[in-house]
Amino acid sequence: MYAYNQFDQTLVDQRVDQYRDQTRRYLAGEIPEDEFRVLRLMNGLYIQRLAPMLRVAIPYGLMKSDQLRTLAQISRTYDKGYGHFTTRQNMQFNWPTLESVPDILADLAKVQMHAIQTSGACIRNTTTDPFAGVSADEIEDTRPWCEMIRQWSTLHPEFAYLPRKFKIAVSGSSSDRAASQVHDIGLHLYHNEQGEMGFEVLVGGGLGRTPVIGKTVRKFLEPQELLSYLDAVLRVYNLNGRRDNKYKARIKILVNAVGIDAFAEMVEAEWQFTKGKDLRLPTAEIERVKGFFKPPNYLSVENSQSSLKAEMAAHPQFAKWYKQNTRDHKQPGYRIVVVALKNQLQAPGDVSHQQMDGIAALADQFSFAELRSTHDQNLVLADVAQRDLLSLWLKLTDLGMARANIGTLTDMINCPGLDFCSLANAETLILSRQINETFDDMDYQYELGEIQLKISGCINACGHHHVGHIGILGVEKGGKQVYQFTLGGSASNDASLGKTLGRSIDQDQVVVVIGQILDVYVQQRKTDETFLQTVRRIGFAPFKERVYGTHQRSAA
Amino acid sequence: MALIKDQQLSLSHAATPHIRFADWLDDDLVISDAVLTNGADDLACLLANANKLSIIAIEFETFADGRGFSMARMLRRDGYQGEIRAVGDVAMDRIEFMTRVGFNAFELREDQDALQALAKLGEVSVHFQPSADGKGPAYMR
Repeated sequence: MYAYNQFDQTLVDQRVDQYRDQTRRYLAGEIPEDEFRVLRLMNGLYIQRLAPMLRVAIPYGLMKSDQLRTLAQISRTYDKGYGHFTTRQNMQFNWPTLESVPDILADLAKVQMHAIQTSGACIRNTTTDPFAGVSADEIEDTRPWCEMIRQWSTLHPEFAYLPRKFKIAVSGSSSDRAASQVHDIGLHLYHNEQGEMGFEVLVGGGLGRTPVIGKTVRKFLEPQELLSYLDAVLRVYNLNGRRDNKYKARIKILVNAVGIDAFAEMVEAEWQFTKGKDLRLPTAEIERVKGFFKPPNYLSVENSQSSLKAEMAAHPQFAKWYKQNTRDHKQPGYRIVVVALKNQLQAPGDVSHQQMDGIAALADQFSFAELRSTHDQNLVLADVAQRDLLSLWLKLTDLGMARANIGTLTDMINCPGLDFCSLANAETLILSRQINETFDDMDYQYELGEIQLKISGCINACGHHHVGHIGILGVEKGGKQVYQFTLGGSASNDASLGKTLGRSIDQDQVVVVIGQILDVYVQQRKTDETFLQTVRRIGFAPFKERVYGTHQRSAA
Repeated sequence: MALIKDQQLSLSHAATPHIRFADWLDDDLVISDAVLTNGADDLACLLANANKLSIIAIEFETFADGRGFSMARMLRRDGYQGEIRAVGDVAMDRIEFMTRVGFNAFELREDQDALQALAKLGEVSVHFQPSADGKGPAYMR
């Protein structure tokens, strides 16, 4: 992965000093509250309901084992011994003190990490496919491009006070695992008919109050001009995005207001000034960055299917885990392993300091000392030799991280909700607990197949509920926490926004309703039909009938 | 009011212009080569007239209004050589970025200490992006 040079290190070190001085001046009363708010947000520090929350950047979800050990150490020293992985592949600490944040940032800088631009109205952490560089269906490795975007966007002087936050996602496989169609900018690496590699550029996707699927603003972008084109899009947005209403300030509102064709023309006009100039990426620079992402020294091991079969026969749970939590790898003899952060005892995405240390050691032993975080709040060991899988599984089992539920109902995305977040209207963690208690039969979950359940505690949609096959949105009505269900959303290639099923559901009825929805699916599905396919085929009526018809009868 | 110009504390300088760009444009009787503008003005028109102006003061009604950053960047890109002065809600924590996009003068908010602000310039000494100072991005050095 990318390693800092003196240049990167100087920038991050000086940024720590700068923030230390800003904190000192704020505590001395020299910076007004509303101004410090913006300064701390640009360094990932929120003030939450109970304490500040610090969001640490994990650029495109990639980290070394020693970085994860530092996160564990920080959680012990400054927090309550755990961290939380977010849907932007970052890590949040929920209990640091405001005064300790400069020290935390200094500790992070020692392992080439920071919290720059993890919040605020600026360009956020670029996200990508957690299987980049290793997936069997990959077209191009997205990581070098993410790194070039990271560098360009870091402390960008012109784009630090945008109308609103700005999120970029990059996908480079036939299967979109980066939710790129619901980002401010989505980039798809592909080869055109001439066989040239380039980007399809989508703009104006997003969730939140106004969910929108991104629209193509440029069908093919020469990769050398990636930064000049992004620069043009950001300048058009910075100058023209609405600033009078923060709920109308995202780029999607601008794109919808002027129309995608007119927006594309604005970008093209601006791009004429920047194209082919100093933002054009020299081939040498592209090659230099790509050099950091060369494949590791894979052993040329044969896939011994017979020994794997024997291991599976001896360990049925291992066989289930292999099927559910590992994926095909480019390199023969290797598998991609998804480490579930979705067990019965912890909130989705939460990880204890012991688990962080434990998984760092496993990364050292089994996966070239690197690991990734995913946008659906799990971890990935990307390069595990097939012959090591059983040993890895046994150790993950000891850590409570071998639950074989990836892609199933209980592999849900969950924002922290009202338990932590000052924006939230409703609790979400109680729902994940109830769901885990109610749907604890893994065989039932396997039988249901792939289901993406996504839960947000408010309209800001950090839990991506709009793109859940089943989405749940917590709202407050008359002092009561109730939940709106949406069905039929997807963040994948067939991206779509879920539609509301009907009136809101009481907290204690949420698991009942999930069960009813699943019953309808099981009754109505055709052979091999997934939940999403069934919803799209049969429509909402059978689900409404089951959920609301029953309710009315029981209420009568 | 303290003014920082060309990375120094300025002791003698032109007063901040009070003629708004729109008025300057509309009224032939206005004779001035210094105007006050902000993100709400017609930027294309400002760029077209910049060569007639020696001071362009860009007003930040609130520090969160980032349009002025792009305005300065585009003025310098067009070759504007005159003064670009940041006025309004201007504080030490932003003048580094402002300098990099092309501002060369800062009328600081009243609570700001000019000497302390000067020390903030260059606080982060390395940059990934090309900027109005003519230096290329990191990979070109």
